Amino acid sequence: MRILSALIKKEFLQILRDPSSIIIAFVLPLISILIYMYGINLDTVSVKMGIKNDDANPEVTTLVKAYGHSKYINSTVYDNENELTEDIVRSKLKGGVIIPNDFSKKISKGQTAEILVITDGSEVNTANYVQNYASQIANQWLLTGKYKYLAQKPIVTPEIRVWYNEDVNSHYFILPGSIAITMTLIGILLTALVVAREWERGTMEALLSTQVKKTQIVLSKYIPYFTLGMLSISFNVFMCTVVFGVPFRGNYLVLFFVSGLFLFTSLGIGLLISTVLKNQFLASQVAIAIGFLPALMLSGLMFPINSMPTFFQYLTQILPPRYFITFIESEFMTGTVWEIVIINSIFLTVIGVFFFILVCKKTEMRLNK
Amino acid sequence: MYAVEIKNLTKKFDSRTALDNLSLNIKKGKITGLIGADGAGKTTLLRLIIGLLLPNNGNIKTLSLNPTTEKEILTPKIGYMPQKFGLYEDLSVIENLKLYADLKHVSYDFEKLLNFTKLEPFQQRKAGALSGGMKQKLGLACALLGKPEFLVLDEPSVGVDPISRRDLSKMVKNLITPETTVLWSTAYLDEAHDFDTAVVIDKGKVIYNGKPHDLAETSKEFEEKVIELMGGYKPEISKIAENYKDTADVLECTVEATNLEKKYGDFYAVKNNSFCIQKGEIFGLLGPNGAGKSTSFKMMCGLTTPTSGTAKISGVDILKNPSKARSNLGYMAQKFSLYGSLTVRQNLEFFAAAYGIGLFDRKKRVDEIVEIFDFQEIQHQKSEDLPLGFKQKLSMACALIHNPPILFLDEPTSGVDIVTRREFWNHITQLAKKGVTILVTTHFMDEAEYCDRISLFYKGETIAIGTPKELKQKANESTMENTFIKLIKESDEK
Repeated sequence: MRILSALIKKEFLQILRDPSSIIIAFVLPLISILIYMYGINLDTVSVKMGIKNDDANPEVTTLVKAYGHSKYINSTVYDNENELTEDIVRSKLKGGVIIPNDFSKKISKGQTAEILVITDGSEVNTANYVQNYASQIANQWLLTGKYKYLAQKPIVTPEIRVWYNEDVNSHYFILPGSIAITMTLIGILLTALVVAREWERGTMEALLSTQVKKTQIVLSKYIPYFTLGMLSISFNVFMCTVVFGVPFRGNYLVLFFVSGLFLFTSLGIGLLISTVLKNQFLASQVAIAIGFLPALMLSGLMFPINSMPTFFQYLTQILPPRYFITFIESEFMTGTVWEIVIINSIFLTVIGVFFFILVCKKTEMRLNK
Repeated sequence: MYAVEIKNLTKKFDSRTALDNLSLNIKKGKITGLIGADGAGKTTLLRLIIGLLLPNNGNIKTLSLNPTTEKEILTPKIGYMPQKFGLYEDLSVIENLKLYADLKHVSYDFEKLLNFTKLEPFQQRKAGALSGGMKQKLGLACALLGKPEFLVLDEPSVGVDPISRRDLSKMVKNLITPETTVLWSTAYLDEAHDFDTAVVIDKGKVIYNGKPHDLAETSKEFEEKVIELMGGYKPEISKIAENYKDTADVLECTVEATNLEKKYGDFYAVKNNSFCIQKGEIFGLLGPNGAGKSTSFKMMCGLTTPTSGTAKISGVDILKNPSKARSNLGYMAQKFSLYGSLTVRQNLEFFAAAYGIGLFDRKKRVDEIVEIFDFQEIQHQKSEDLPLGFKQKLSMACALIHNPPILFLDEPTSGVDIVTRREFWNHITQLAKKGVTILVTTHFMDEAEYCDRISLFYKGETIAIGTPKELKQKANESTMENTFIKLIKESDEK
C-alpha cells in the first residue's frame, strides 16, 4: 500500500507541475464544446436564393414576395436570367427559382404550371432543402391566394409531435455527444504519454530495480488520471447544462457511473499505446489518430450507424464511444432508461477490463535492450 | 565469499553479441571497478547481474540468488543507480528522496545523506534544475537509501568535474557499511585505480580481474597497462591533420573574447570574460559543472547574444556578422547533435550542404572525409546505432567538413573510453600543429595537459589563466587534478 500510494502521489505531483495534462483535461473540452456549440449546426440556417419572374401578372408578384418572407431564406430578385445562373456558378446563391411568362396563364386555364427550381447539387443537403422549400412555398401560395379554388383539399393532415427534443434543436444531442468524443481523446491523450515518459527519461529502469510490482505500476497510472478525467467530465457536463442550457433529464449518479466506466476504457487504450510504444512522440501521434477519428466518424454521433456499410456496423461494436454516445444522448434527453444504461455499461465494462488485462500483460518488468 | 558469481554468460541483442561466454566472480565487501571501452558490455553486464535483463546462456548468482527467477527477493538488497540516474525531473530533491524511501520501505531519515551531498539547501529545488554534479549526488543518495547490501553504479561520474567526482567517491566510501559490496563502472581510470578490485572487459570478455595495484603502482601507469590490455594504442600520423589545408591568415588573435558577459536576471552566468587565442593554439576551458563554460561557448559561436562584450572569430565580429564569423568555425556540441536516423554518409552530406559546400564539390569532399576518417565500413549505418566513440568521431568529421581554421569542442570526450580519447587527442594535437586554432572544454584533467594554455573558470569568472605548467607552479601541486581543486578552493576562500 505504501508503494502504491507513493507512486500515486508522485503521479499527482507530476500532473500539477506539468501544465500539459491540466490543459488537456480542461482547455481541450472547452475549445471542443465551443466548436460543437457555435461551429457545427445540423439545423438548416438561412440560405441565399435568387428569384427571376418572367410573368407580368400582378398575382404572381405575391408569389415572389412569399419567397422573401421566410426567416430561413434570404432571397434576391433578379431581372436577368444569366446573372442569376452566374451567381449560382460563383456560389453566391445556393439555388434559384425562375417563373416562366406563361405561368399565370396556364394556372388560369387549369393546366399544370411549371416553375424552374435550380439547386446546387454539390451540397446535397442544402439542395434538398431549397427544393422542398421552393415547392412548399408555391403550394402555400396557391392555398392562400386568388387561385385557392384550384387547390385540392388535403385528405390526411399529419399532426407532428417531436418527442425528447421539442424544439428540434440539434445542439441538444450534439453537445452531450461531443462529451463522448472529447472524453475519448482526453482519456487516451492523458495516459498515452505517461509510461513512454518513464521509459524515455530512464526512470522506468530505476523503478524496475526497486520492489515495485506490476499491478502497482499499472494502478498508479490508472488512478490519478481517472481522477483527473472525472473532473474533466464534470467540467464538460457543467458547461453543457449550466452554461449552454442543454436540458438534463437523467440522473447525475447514473451519468457519472457510466462516464467512469467509459473513462476506464479510454485510459486503458492510452496506457496500452504508451506501454507498447515507449516513445512519447510516436505515442501522441497514435493517440490522436486512434482517439479522435474513429470516435467522430464511427460512433454514430455524426452519421447514423444503421446507414453504414455492414462491415463498419460491426466495426463500431468494438468502439467504446459508440456505447457511451447511445447512453449519454438518452440520459440527457430522455432520462434514465435502465435497459440502455445496463446494456451499455456491460459493453463498456467488458472493453475496459479487456484493455486493463492487456496493459498488465504488456507491462514489462525487465528491459529488453 | 563472492557477491556475484557468473559462469559462461552470453547475451545477444539481435545478431550483436554483447557478452561472450563471460565468467567472473566479484568479492563480497569490496569496491570493484568495471572498466571497458564503449560498447564493451559494461551496462549490459550490470543489468544482467541485477536481473533487469535476462541472459541467453550461462549462470548468474547475485548474493546467492538467481536474478532470473528470484528477482523479487533480490531487488530489496540492491541499490542501483542507472546511467540516467532515474530521477523525476519535475519532482523536488526531497520529493525524489521520499518517493524512493517509500518504494524501498525505509524511513524518511535523510539528514546524513543531505549533509553529505550538500543538497540540504536545495531540498525544494526540482531535480531537473540541479547541476550535473548535484543530480549525480542525488541519484546516488536515492540508490543508497535503505543501506543496500550491494550497490551497483553505472558510470556515476560521466561528465562530472573533478571536485564532484571526489565528493562522489567520498560519499560512497563513507555511507556504506564494511560489508557492502560495490560494483562501479567507470571510464575514469584514476578512479578505478583507487578501488579494491578492477575488472577490465573488452568485446564482451573479461581481460583482467585483480587488484589495480598489482597491475601498476601509479594511476598513470595503470592507464598505460589498461590500454595495453585493450589492444594497445600507438599514436599514428593523423590522416585528418595531414589532409588539412591551412588557408587562414595569421592575426594577432585568431579567436578573441572581449569582456564577454551574460546575465540572467541578477545572476551572472559569465562575467567579464576576456581571452586571446593565437593561431594553432589549443586553448582549454576548465571549470566545475555550472561554471559558465557552455554559456561562454554559445556566446563565442553566436548561439546566444551576450549581455555585453563581444567576440571575434578570425577577426570577424560575431555580433556584427555572425554568419561570416561562423563560416570559419567547426563546432562540436556537448551532446550528440547529429541526425540519428540518417546514415553516417547522409549526415556528412547534410553538413557539407549546411556549411555551403556546392553540389559538385560535395560528393568529392564527403568521399575524402569517409576515407580520412576510415568510415568506409560504417558509412551506410544509421548513426544512432553507432557506439559512442564512433558517434564522437562522426561529430568531429561533420565539424571539419568545410575545412575550418577554428574548432570549438565542447566536452568532446565525455563518456568516451580511454583508447578512443587518446586517438581523438592525437588528431587534435596534430591539427593544431597544422595551424588549426582550437578551443576545448573537458572534465578529464589528463587531457588538460594537452592544452597549450588553460583558462580556469569558476562561478562565471576566470580565476587563473596560463600554461598547464604555470598553473601547477602557481598551485604548487604536481598533478592537474590537484591544481584544479586547490585553485577552486582558494577562490572560494577569498
